[in-house]
Amino acid sequence: MASVEISGLRKLYGDVVALSDISISIPSGTFYTLLGPSGCGKTTLLRTIAGFHQQSAGQIAVDGSSIEHLPAHQRDVAMVFQDYAVFPHLSVRDNVAFGLKQRRIPAKEITRQVEEVLEVVELGKFVDRMPHELSGGQQQRVGLARAIVVRPKVLLMDEPLSNLDARLRVDLRAELRRIQRDLGITTIYVTHDQEEALAMSDVVCVMEGGIIQQAATPLDVYLRPSNRFVASFVGANNFLQVGNFKGECVLKCCGSSVSQHLPAGPVVCALRPEDISVKVDEDPSSLLNTEISIPVQIKEVSFIGREMEIFATTDNGEAIKAVGRSDSKVIALPVDSRAWFCVERQNLSFFRDSELGERV
Amino acid sequence: MAFSFPRHRPDFWTWITISIVAVLCILLILPILRVLTLGFIDPDTGSLTLDNFIEVFTRNYYLNGLKNTLFVGALGTLGACLIGIPLAFFTTRFLITGKTLISTLAILVLVSPPFISAYAWIMMMGSNGVITNFFGGIGINIPTIYGAHGIILVFSLKFFPFIFLMTQTALTAVNKSFEDAAENLGCSPWQRFVKVTLPLVFPAVSTGAIICFVLSIADFGTPAILGRGFRTLSTIALSAYRSELGGPPTMAVTVSILMMAISMIALVAQRRILANRRYASSLTNLPVAVKLSGWKNAAVHFFSHGIVFLAMLPSAVVVYTSFLKTKGPVFVGGFGLESYDRIWRDAPDAIYNSFLFAIIAVTFITITSGLISYVIVRRDTKAAAAIDFLMMVPYLVPGVVMAIGFVTVFRNGMPNFFGPAFLLVMIYYIRRLPYGVRSTTSSLRQIKPSLEEAAVNLGATPLGAFVKITVPLIFPGIVVGALMGFITAINELSSTLILYDAGTITMPVKVYLAVLDGEFGLAAALSTILLLSTGACVYAVFRFAENRNSAFI
Repeated sequence: MASVEISGLRKLYGDVVALSDISISIPSGTFYTLLGPSGCGKTTLLRTIAGFHQQSAGQIAVDGSSIEHLPAHQRDVAMVFQDYAVFPHLSVRDNVAFGLKQRRIPAKEITRQVEEVLEVVELGKFVDRMPHELSGGQQQRVGLARAIVVRPKVLLMDEPLSNLDARLRVDLRAELRRIQRDLGITTIYVTHDQEEALAMSDVVCVMEGGIIQQAATPLDVYLRPSNRFVASFVGANNFLQVGNFKGECVLKCCGSSVSQHLPAGPVVCALRPEDISVKVDEDPSSLLNTEISIPVQIKEVSFIGREMEIFATTDNGEAIKAVGRSDSKVIALPVDSRAWFCVERQNLSFFRDSELGERV
Repeated sequence: MAFSFPRHRPDFWTWITISIVAVLCILLILPILRVLTLGFIDPDTGSLTLDNFIEVFTRNYYLNGLKNTLFVGALGTLGACLIGIPLAFFTTRFLITGKTLISTLAILVLVSPPFISAYAWIMMMGSNGVITNFFGGIGINIPTIYGAHGIILVFSLKFFPFIFLMTQTALTAVNKSFEDAAENLGCSPWQRFVKVTLPLVFPAVSTGAIICFVLSIADFGTPAILGRGFRTLSTIALSAYRSELGGPPTMAVTVSILMMAISMIALVAQRRILANRRYASSLTNLPVAVKLSGWKNAAVHFFSHGIVFLAMLPSAVVVYTSFLKTKGPVFVGGFGLESYDRIWRDAPDAIYNSFLFAIIAVTFITITSGLISYVIVRRDTKAAAAIDFLMMVPYLVPGVVMAIGFVTVFRNGMPNFFGPAFLLVMIYYIRRLPYGVRSTTSSLRQIKPSLEEAAVNLGATPLGAFVKITVPLIFPGIVVGALMGFITAINELSSTLILYDAGTITMPVKVYLAVLDGEFGLAAALSTILLLSTGACVYAVFRFAENRNSAFI
């Protein structure tokens, strides 16, 4: 159990900036997730903390003592790997005992701790198996047991569930979180799966281009994304152009007034598909003033079981998508028919119109 | 910056990289540079000059040597292609009974030393050979094996396995759809082979051919035994070296540079040709072997088995001869163990030395090849790339040349400091190191780097992770590499001939000298021991290697 403090961390590959001035502070016991698309720098950051990459500048401190100058094998930050990295020539027991042996713990104590941790990850019966006799999920449990048995100050996990099938991923996700909570171990978790990040984390740190875009609780990241990238990467989002009409900010596609006080410069309005309700034949003028309605042309309605997805275009050609409970009236809509997408005003958010445009 | 090491702390592997570079500089680069510079120095005045090269390119003695070398090299390679390509095609496209036997025998041919087959052919078709005498007895004078045609025959039958095995591997990876498409578009089977199949396997064929050519240029034993006045650059280099003993080996070195240049040009030419030919192919539709019938089936079987029979014949003759009853150098009819008896009396030191030198060299190869492979595969530095490139150089430098380089570096001014035994072990080490490195490298490429990272992450030092995780996982590759190193080290002739003295004679040298003296029985018995140890290693490679054919080429 330890806090992690990273300040001014930079990593350059020649002229390419992989990490740009990363500063984060992780309180002890936190489940901290680095989320982002591939190439955003999340794995580089994790591997730099582990000591597999040498930072170009900056400090990494665990419990107040800096570790950035230590070689990887002296850092006491255990890692769980994406491809499990279970030693294929060693039994489950020897895999889990590997780190304990490095720490010169007495043999008897090793046996006890190995058996104990294997019970925790529910592999008690497999102690003498070889890795090739285990399934992917079981191998990753070995990887986890091997990491936590050494009681590291920090646990690092590099997309540990991404090689598993969907069902197992969800099961193991809950189990990982349970074990982490029980041990109270500070965990830095890398994933590109936003659902995984939101479901497991205390703090989600969204990265792009080697820069931290937002670090906040899952709810905050989802409801109050700090910029347009976060808004589009975490959950789905529609972005509609906002224009200025007679001193009022209006949606360009329908002229609805959306806000009186937006700064100068191009701005987009973000509305989540699940916040949209589809009106087929009601008169939109009867709507409450707390809602706006956008006339659209239906392009495709796909029924995917629990819900339906409606793809449409606004009157100035912007693509817009809605998601909602299946409704036979909507599903029956022919292509190119008219409908109205209605959203409550409080669910609208606004960003400057650029890839990383900030929230306004 | 020549080497881009990690900027902050030089870790364990940085020190290893530096050590490897240092060893390669001393044992590989320095001797070659020494050879290169000596060729441009006037032996009498010590000044820079091109006279040595002018002499080589104007005197008929050297010019003929050059012509002869290129002649037997090119025709030997052509012969190997004419044997190897059809054999590869037959064994992959037709059902051949005893296909595994053919591959196994081809590998045995590949690893057995060429000078043994050269002298076995003398026993069959020399002036007093079995076959010569048989035809002489019925009044037909057939040409003897001596001369260019004999060397070409031996080269063809000795080096065809390179072409065969490489082409075979390529042919089994050619998508059958290409051939089906060609047929569908109206090609006859022969047109299909020439226009589609052969171009597709051309990269493999040309790589095999270049190996044949380089080995033919470098081969010393075959022209030395069969040449009889037909001199190639390697025999000229050795006699030049012998005649220049005491002074700087200027002409030997000049000829050596010529040999290296030929190998280099051949390699560069092949790379050039191959640069634009990369055929990625998805293996959805693997080729199938069809069953032939009638005379075609018989002909294909006759060719396939006939070729490996012919290629194995010299080894068989050698083993047979070793059990013939002898009196001194003369065969007196019947069987006996006199030849083996003579080994124990005349050449126990040769056997002892051969095994001792080879085992010490291979021990060093085994220890270092794992480390070198790790640097090549895992370290993304310029030094690692340079080491990877340098590992190709020993293949290209003929043994005679390397040995002359060793002499000029290590005997120059410090005559007694490095004894012949030490130099022999070192030259076996550097010349056979690539076999070990190549084998361990291909094993290591299949090991995920995350395994070593996991070990380090759990507290193992870089060396600890290497010893506890990497080495056990690449162990089969290390063993195969060591065995290949051993096979090629114990059969080494050309560089040993330059470096050995009375106390450090080896089996190949003893065989060579015995053949020159007409002591065929003694030579046969020693060769049999060499063949047996080689065969035992091949068997062990088969046990350890994941892909038996690719371990040898």
